[in-house]
Amino acid sequence: MVDVIVLIKQMPDLEQVKIDSNTREPIVKNVPKTVEILSEHAVEEAVRLKEKYKGKVTAILLGNEQSSAIMKKAFAIGADEGIIIDGYEEHNPANTARVLASKIKEIKHDLVILGNQSADSITGLIPGMLSALLNEPLLGNAGKIEVTGTNVKVTRILEEDNIEIEVPMPSIVSISQEINEPRLPPVMQIMAAGRKPIKTEKIAPVISKGVTLVSNSAPRSERKKLVFEDMDKGIPEVVKVLKEGMK
Amino acid sequence: MNLVSVLVLAGIIIAVFAFFYKLYEILWDAVKIPLKKPRMKLDLGRRIYILIRNVFLQGKLFKDPFAGIMHALMFWGFIVFGAYSIDFFYVTIFAHQLFSPGILSDIIFFTVNIFAGIVIADVIYAAVRRWGLKIKRYQGFNGFEAAFILVLIGLLMFTYLVMSVLDMQGLLGGYTFVVRSGAPHYLEPISYALTYVIPKAPSSYVYYIFWSAFWIHALDFMVFLIYIPRSKHLHLFAAPFNVLFSTGTQATPLPIDFEKETRFGATDIRDFTWKDYFDFYSCTECGRCTDNCPANMTGKTLSPRDIIWDIRETVMAQGKEYRKNRENPDEVFKTVIGDPILEKDLWSCTTCMACVEQCPVMIDHVPKIIDMRRSLVLNQGKAPKESLDLFRNIESYASPYAIDPSTRGDWAENLDVVDLSKNPDANYDVLYWVGCVASYDRRNQDIAKSVTKILKKAGVNFAILGSMEKCTGDPARRTGNEYLADMMIRQNVETFKEKKIHKVITACPHCFNSLKNEYKEYGVELEVYHHSEYINRLISDKKISVKALTSDSSEKYTYHDSCYLGRYNKIYDAPREIIGSFTENFQEMEKNKSKALCCGAGGGRLWMQETEGTMVSHKRIEMADKINASTVVTACPYCMTMLDDARKTTNREDKMNIQDLSEVIAKRLE
Ligand code: SF4
Ligand code: SF4
Repeated sequence: MVDVIVLIKQMPDLEQVKIDSNTREPIVKNVPKTVEILSEHAVEEAVRLKEKYKGKVTAILLGNEQSSAIMKKAFAIGADEGIIIDGYEEHNPANTARVLASKIKEIKHDLVILGNQSADSITGLIPGMLSALLNEPLLGNAGKIEVTGTNVKVTRILEEDNIEIEVPMPSIVSISQEINEPRLPPVMQIMAAGRKPIKTEKIAPVISKGVTLVSNSAPRSERKKLVFEDMDKGIPEVVKVLKEGMK
Repeated sequence: MNLVSVLVLAGIIIAVFAFFYKLYEILWDAVKIPLKKPRMKLDLGRRIYILIRNVFLQGKLFKDPFAGIMHALMFWGFIVFGAYSIDFFYVTIFAHQLFSPGILSDIIFFTVNIFAGIVIADVIYAAVRRWGLKIKRYQGFNGFEAAFILVLIGLLMFTYLVMSVLDMQGLLGGYTFVVRSGAPHYLEPISYALTYVIPKAPSSYVYYIFWSAFWIHALDFMVFLIYIPRSKHLHLFAAPFNVLFSTGTQATPLPIDFEKETRFGATDIRDFTWKDYFDFYSCTECGRCTDNCPANMTGKTLSPRDIIWDIRETVMAQGKEYRKNRENPDEVFKTVIGDPILEKDLWSCTTCMACVEQCPVMIDHVPKIIDMRRSLVLNQGKAPKESLDLFRNIESYASPYAIDPSTRGDWAENLDVVDLSKNPDANYDVLYWVGCVASYDRRNQDIAKSVTKILKKAGVNFAILGSMEKCTGDPARRTGNEYLADMMIRQNVETFKEKKIHKVITACPHCFNSLKNEYKEYGVELEVYHHSEYINRLISDKKISVKALTSDSSEKYTYHDSCYLGRYNKIYDAPREIIGSFTENFQEMEKNKSKALCCGAGGGRLWMQETEGTMVSHKRIEMADKINASTVVTACPYCMTMLDDARKTTNREDKMNIQDLSEVIAKRLE
C-alpha cells in the first residue's frame, strides 16, 4: 500500500502566449490554461504506483473554477481524489510551497510526487522548499520509482550517470520527463472522470514574502537573415559568420 | 426402385443434410451471437443493380481480365450444371426426366455440354495459373483446398462427358440412368466432336466404364455439396447475399453512442454486425485485396485478406464453442486483436480503400480495421506514440499541429480574404474550407493561396472561417479516436449551423469526404465541392481562362489520384480535365484511377512514422519517374506532403516537381 499525493500545475498554453512587442513581456491574459506537461507525467507515475502497490492517489492543484477540466484529466488517468485550491494567484515559489505544504500536511501520505520544474517558469524551487517545510527527504529528478516495504527506491537521472537512492517514506519525489509516457485514458474513464466530484477549497490571499519576480521578458533577437545558397561555398561562410559573432 | 436408386437417394439425403447443417450452424452464429446492428437502408434500386452487375455479370472480377473471364465462365457453368445435376439425380432416383424434352431441357443440355468443355479447359488453365505460373497473390495459403476443388470440378465434368459420349456412341442401350438419352447431336456438340476422337469402347468394357463414371459423378457431387460450406467455396452461397446486403457506406465506420455504449469498436467477434459475418463467409481467399494493399506492397505484414480470414476462422471456432457454452459468453469470446490480428498491422493501414475496391464479393475491410483501432484507442487507450501527440494537438489546438489556433487564418494576411472570425457579418456566397494542413503547413499554404487567387480571378464571392475553422475530425476518426472526432464534428456542425453555411469548397479530399458524406449524420446538409470539381467548372464555364502550354515544352504531367477523392468519392475525371485544359503532355502512371496507389498518408498515417518495410510514397514517386514525369499533379495536401518529401529524400529534386491542381492553374491564369 502506498498513498500518493500528486501536485499538478496549470499554466498558460505556451503555444498561445504572445510577446508584447514593446515591453517584451508575455501576454498571458485570455490564454487558455493547460496542464503543465511534467505534471501529467507525475499523475501517470502516481497512478502506476497505485496500480502496482495499491493505495490512493490524491491530486492537488492550485487553480480556480475553470481548472476542473485539468483535474478531470487527472481523474481520467486514474487519480482517486482531487482538490483544487482556489484563491492563490501569485507567482511566488516560496508562497506557493507554503500553501501546498499546509494542505499536504492535512493528508495522510507516503509519497508526494511532482515535476522537477515547470515548463513556464522553470524555477525548480518547489520540490526543495516542500522538503524543508514538510521535513521529508527529497529525491530529485527521478527516472524510476519503486516501493520496497516502508522505503522508496528512486533512480535519479543525473548528467553523467544514474544513481539509485533508497529512503524511508514519507518522502518527496520530483520526476523528470523520461520517467514514463502518460497514457491515453480509455473513454469510459474519461466519462467517469466527468462525473466525479472535485473538492474546491477557497483560501485567503497569502502575504507576499520570499522570492520576488524582478522581470519577465523575452530576449530581443535580431536576425541577420543571411541565406547561403551554394552548399560548397556556404559552409565556410557560415563558419566565418559564427566566428565573428563569437568575438 | 432398384438398388442404385436407393443408394443414390440415401447418399444425396446425407449430403444435403450435411450441407444444410453447416449452413444452419453458420446462420445460428450470426443470429445467436449478440451482434451489433449494421447501417442498412432499403435502397432497392442500387441493390438490384449491384446484384446484376457484380454477381450475374461478375463485374468486379474483370479488374483482372484473365482471372475475371475464367471465373465468370466457372460461375455461369456452375449455374447450368446445377440444373443438369438436379435432373441427373432425378432420373437416377425416379427413372424419368425432371425437365422433359422441350425448350428448357434443350437449353440446359446444350449449355451444359459446351460448358463441360470450357470448364475442363478452365480447370487446366486455373491449375497452370496457380501452380505453373506461381501468381503472387495465390502464394502462401491453402493450396490443398484449391487443388481439391479443381479436382472435384474437373472430375464432375469429365465423368459427365464420358457418359454422354458413351450414350452418343449408342453403347448405353440397356441403361436407364442417363439424362436425355439419345438426345440429338446438335444438343451435345462437344460430345459429338469427341465421338470422332475417341474410338468406341469394346462392349465388354462399357459396363465398367459407365458404372465407374456414374458413381464417381454421383459421389463427386455429394462430396462437393458437403465440402462447399466448410471451405472457402462457401462464397458460392454467401457472396450473392453479401453483394445484395452491401451497405453502400463502406467508407464510414459505424456511429458510436457514447451515452449508451460501454465498450467501443470491435474487440471480439460479438462486436461485428451480421453483415460483417456475411463478409467473412464470402471471402474466397483470392488475395486481390492484399495484392493491391499499399502497406503489403511495401513490405509490411498487414494483409487485408488475412484480417478477414483470421476473423472468419475465429468466428467459426468460437461460434462452435458458444453453441456448447451459452452461459459464459465472456469466456468464449476472446479478443481477436493481438492474436491472430497484430496491432501493428491495424496501424499500418492507410484506409486507402484499395482492398474494398478490389474485392469481387464486396467485403468491407476498412471499417473493420477502424473498428479494431477504436477498440484499442477507446477501450484501452492504446495507439502509436505519435498518434497520442496528434490527439493532444487536436484536442488543445483544434488541428494536428501544436500551433496557436488564433493564427489559423494568418496565411491569408494581405490577400484581402473575408475572414468570418474577424468579420462575422460579411456577405459571401461560398465558404472556402481551408483545412488544417493548408492552413498551417508552409508548403501547403501555397495551395490555399492558389485557390484564393483562382476564386478571386473568377469573381467568386467567398469567405474563410479563419480561427473559427477546426479540424474536421477525420484524422482522429480514422485513427480510431471517435470520441475526439465526435467532439470536433459537433463543434464544426455548431459553426455551420450558427453561420448558416450551405455551400462549401475545399481543396482537401479528407475534409471533403467528411463534410460531404459524414457530417450528415450530425444533422447538417452541405453542398460540398472539391476544388478540382469547382475549378473544372470555372474553366468550362469560361469564368477563368488558362494559358496553354506551348507545344515545344518538354514538361510532362502526370496525375496522382488521392484515395479520398478517387475511391472514396469517385472523382477521377475532373482533375484530368483540368490538366487537359492547358496541355496534352500528359501520361498516366502505372496504377491510376480506381487502382491508384496511395501516397501513404491516409488513416492518420501522415502523423505516424513509417518504419516497417519501405515507404509507400517512395514507391509512388518511382512510378512517376518511370514515365519521366516532370510534374506530378496532386489534389490533396496529404499527397503533396508525402510526395514532395519522397521527391526530396529520393534525390529527385532536380527532375521532378509536385504541384497541386490549384497551383498549376493559378500560375497559368490569363
Ligand atoms: S485500406 Fe489500403 S492500406 Fe488498408 S488494408 Fe486496405 S488496401 Fe491495405
Ligand atoms: S477479402 Fe475479397 S479480395 Fe480479399 S481475399 Fe477475400 S474475397 Fe478476395
